Amino acid sequence: MGPIVPLFEIPEELNLLIAFLIGLGFGFTLEQAGFSSSRKLAGMFYGYDITVLKVFFTAAITGMLGLLFLNYFGLIDMSLVYLNEYYMTSAIIGGIIMGAGFIIGGFCPGTSVCAAAIGKIDAMYFIGGGLVGIFLFGETYTWWEKLYNANYLGMVKLSDSIGVSDGILALIVIVAAVMMFWIGEMAEKKFKREDISNEI
Amino acid sequence: MKSKYKGMNARMILSAIIVCFGMVAAILPQKQNSSVQLDAQQLLYEIQLKNHVVSVDEMADAIINNDPYYQLIDLRSPEEFAAYNLPGSLNIPFDKLFTPEWAPYIDQVARKNVFYSNGSTLANEAWMLTRQKGMKNNYILEGGLNNWISTILTPTAPESTVGDEAINSFQARLGARQYFSGEGAASASSANNAPRKPVPAKKKTKVAGGCS
Repeated sequence: MGPIVPLFEIPEELNLLIAFLIGLGFGFTLEQAGFSSSRKLAGMFYGYDITVLKVFFTAAITGMLGLLFLNYFGLIDMSLVYLNEYYMTSAIIGGIIMGAGFIIGGFCPGTSVCAAAIGKIDAMYFIGGGLVGIFLFGETYTWWEKLYNANYLGMVKLSDSIGVSDGILALIVIVAAVMMFWIGEMAEKKFKREDISNEI
Repeated sequence: MKSKYKGMNARMILSAIIVCFGMVAAILPQKQNSSVQLDAQQLLYEIQLKNHVVSVDEMADAIINNDPYYQLIDLRSPEEFAAYNLPGSLNIPFDKLFTPEWAPYIDQVARKNVFYSNGSTLANEAWMLTRQKGMKNNYILEGGLNNWISTILTPTAPESTVGDEAINSFQARLGARQYFSGEGAASASSANNAPRKPVPAKKKTKVAGGCS
């Protein structure tokens, strides 16, 4: 039974190397999906390009089904799988800031690094802005600390909090995703923007 | 026009396939795997190996030598514990074994916990429960206090025809009896026998991470 890489029993250097390889794969996939173009990313907000929705939901569905089946065949111990901890207030405020930054800057933090790597100057400014934000947040952390830790719910799963099995939730997410893909494609036709090219 | 139709068809097929996968996932029963917990077969094997048993002679030797590696754990009730206990033992009543107060003492890596009660049933049950939960470093005192009293406190002299080994162990038991019943032997300082803070088992360190 998993994990494939026993994270705490291998040397730190090897650990970093594995992280580097996974990071390369992630960056490559983002670039292949066209996410180094802020036109494509902004298209999600204006409705002329829903690639972002498709790529992220496809990734989520694939990961979700993969984990479910691995678990069913006894190949993974789900109690050892890390779930991102849920700080509700932080998640809401962070979501708003992230969304605003996304449409203003035209990138999300991961794709900005991707775009900077292929030489996009706006992406480099975006990273610089992000770093300034991180620095300011770090320096003024004591001001936000209470807000930051508010409404902490721990490592919760959506399926547990609404009281259905993991499998049923997976089906709900899949049906919702397929419907979103279809509606999204109709929106793509409706909000088509001939003036915006997808080149570069 | 025809090619457009074909494209639509491929999308339909893909959508249908992924929804089918979702349906299979929804039908599959919930399952909880554990890479730490032992199943009945593995547990049976460990019981047969008898590696979880500490003999009373070994324990007496450890107490006399103030061996810090051993931690005796008395599973009986506090009243029984107050009436009689082995030096340096810690009273964790059986029903309090997994309470937050005591769990760190039984799920730890630094010391060798030796469970005991009057007989060996309670200690055996406690060992099985902890082992099933994947905890290590828990052992049981062979035969419990009954065996302790009959072997260490009231040893019977072996026949003179038995080998040196039995004679030697009898001599050791006589010495131990002197130690534990306080006749002539210097008593160990109580400070050395005081229960120590447990060293917690390795925590699952949280992996920070996230996308975008």
